[in-house]
Amino acid sequence: MKEKIIVKAKGLKKSYKMSKRNIVAALRGVDIEVKEGDFSAIIGPSGCGKSTLMHILGLLDRPDEGTLEIDGVDMSRLKEKKAYKIRSKKIGFIFQGFNLIPTLTALENVMLAGKYGGMRTKERKERAKKLLKLLGLQDRINHKPNELSGGQQQRVAIARALINDPALILADEPTGELDSKTSLEIMEILKKLNRKENKTFLIVTHNLDVAKVCKKIIRLKDGLNA
Amino acid sequence: MIEIFRNMWRRKFRTFLTIFGIVIGIFAFTVMGSMALKLNKMIDGGKKYITGQITISPKGSSYGMSSGTLPIDTINKIAQIDGVDKVGAMVSMLVEDQNPDNASMNMGQPATIYATDFNSEFKNRNWETMDMREGKMVGAGSTDNEIAIGINIATDKKLHAGDTYKIHGREFRVVGVVNKTMTGPDDYVFMSITPAREMLIESNPFMESLFVQNRLKAEDVNSMAGVSWKDGYDSEKVATEIKDQFGKDVSVMSPVKMGELIDKASATMNAIILGSAMLALIVGLFSIVNTMVMSISERTKEIGIKKAIGASPRSIAFEYTLEAGIIGLVGGAIGMGLGVLAADIINNKMAAKGAEIFLIEPNFLIAVIVFSFVVGILAGIIPAIRASKLNVVDAVREL
Repeated sequence: MKEKIIVKAKGLKKSYKMSKRNIVAALRGVDIEVKEGDFSAIIGPSGCGKSTLMHILGLLDRPDEGTLEIDGVDMSRLKEKKAYKIRSKKIGFIFQGFNLIPTLTALENVMLAGKYGGMRTKERKERAKKLLKLLGLQDRINHKPNELSGGQQQRVAIARALINDPALILADEPTGELDSKTSLEIMEILKKLNRKENKTFLIVTHNLDVAKVCKKIIRLKDGLNA
Repeated sequence: MIEIFRNMWRRKFRTFLTIFGIVIGIFAFTVMGSMALKLNKMIDGGKKYITGQITISPKGSSYGMSSGTLPIDTINKIAQIDGVDKVGAMVSMLVEDQNPDNASMNMGQPATIYATDFNSEFKNRNWETMDMREGKMVGAGSTDNEIAIGINIATDKKLHAGDTYKIHGREFRVVGVVNKTMTGPDDYVFMSITPAREMLIESNPFMESLFVQNRLKAEDVNSMAGVSWKDGYDSEKVATEIKDQFGKDVSVMSPVKMGELIDKASATMNAIILGSAMLALIVGLFSIVNTMVMSISERTKEIGIKKAIGASPRSIAFEYTLEAGIIGLVGGAIGMGLGVLAADIINNKMAAKGAEIFLIEPNFLIAVIVFSFVVGILAGIIPAIRASKLNVVDAVREL
């Protein structure tokens, strides 16, 4: 059976105008392909364009040049106003600093993403509870982020990324703010989701221990594939 | 929705201050608005009366309150003018003499005798009957010692139908209490013109001396007269005709011109009252704008997260607009509550003197609440649109 391609990007270029004369080329023609069920890491030194690439793949930013297809849909000409719809349904985000909404409980944080994905209240509540249970947080669903440990917060963030059953989950330094033991736990969870649920992960990291866990490594250097 | 309240609660003190700004604005708006409503109602009542007849008064008098009189001969002559239907003589005077040594600020009108000739067939075209709370109205068939009183006098003097009320040393029997009108008649004593003429003469030493010397007849003592016009005639033309013939001796108030004058005066008054309230409200509005701008800049990160996980610009804008609307609504509800309370307390204190100065109408209160919500929304729109347009990458970089 032919493997389904989730991300197909060719010649992605992106530069930022810092001042009139100072233009920084963050990406200078990056190609990337992610297949369904991949568990890949993007690694590279600081300033190599990892974050820019993640923003473009996550439809948070647009490339200056190049083509991008996500789950078979051409995103190159996608208008900014429509990007959020694709983002809510096809892409899940896991951030370094967990980035949960502080005023919402764990359950509400997960449900919020479901709401943006167009799920009905009852449906998203049930699914959020199921996911939190899957991640071992059944006793913490009504806790606010400040009442949870770093590892627990990141697990809530994982549940949030999963609620709309996205084709691609982008994780930006998912263990960046965790101790080594918790980092391992989180990576184990991601791996398990990949193995058992066939979830596609693309993890941006500079931590080689994290990268080692991944099946595939994409190296970037100076805005190019290394 | 819960999140909105939690966000408001997150910065309790700031939310409190913002709401307080709106409370002051809406409080002022409620109080001033209720005052304007009351004044408008009074003016409307007056207007209805004034435009229902052509009012004739002695030259130089101020709406019946004068020492000048309108001789019966003039009244009878006016009745002969083409287009005039009926003319009714009236006497208007204060129930209690004003004591200049004990002057007090009185927002309402003082208790006034409104005496008409019960034998006259004259009727105000807009004001033929009065709703009675107790008993009956005085009129044809009533005796000279029978009176009907307005609700404010009944409340102030604790009078009911059947009671006796002493006015200028004479005893009158109250046969009826008029229902609340929120206008002039609330402070009227309705009676026959005969005792009123006598009391007016007795109250004025000059008139009394003329009367004693037989140089003044009681029937010549009239403070004003109401003129009705025949059907098919133009009230203004009839008024002009009266003015042409008797303009030297009498002032003629034509219904249309008086109506216009009243409208102009009430429009100016409303503009002043509501304008000052609006000023307070605008200050409150800017406090919401300020709070929302600050709140959004503090929550840039949150907005970034929400956008990253799929929030549409519209849902972000809606969320913040609603938050501003709720601040307006909460502030509005409290401000309106306090305004109603203040108006009620003052009204209760003034009611005894028959000088309620606020009219609290449910429709107005509903409008105030809706208005405060709309004001909040308007204040929130620009900051909310700014929030919805936040660049996700910039916001995410703050993470």
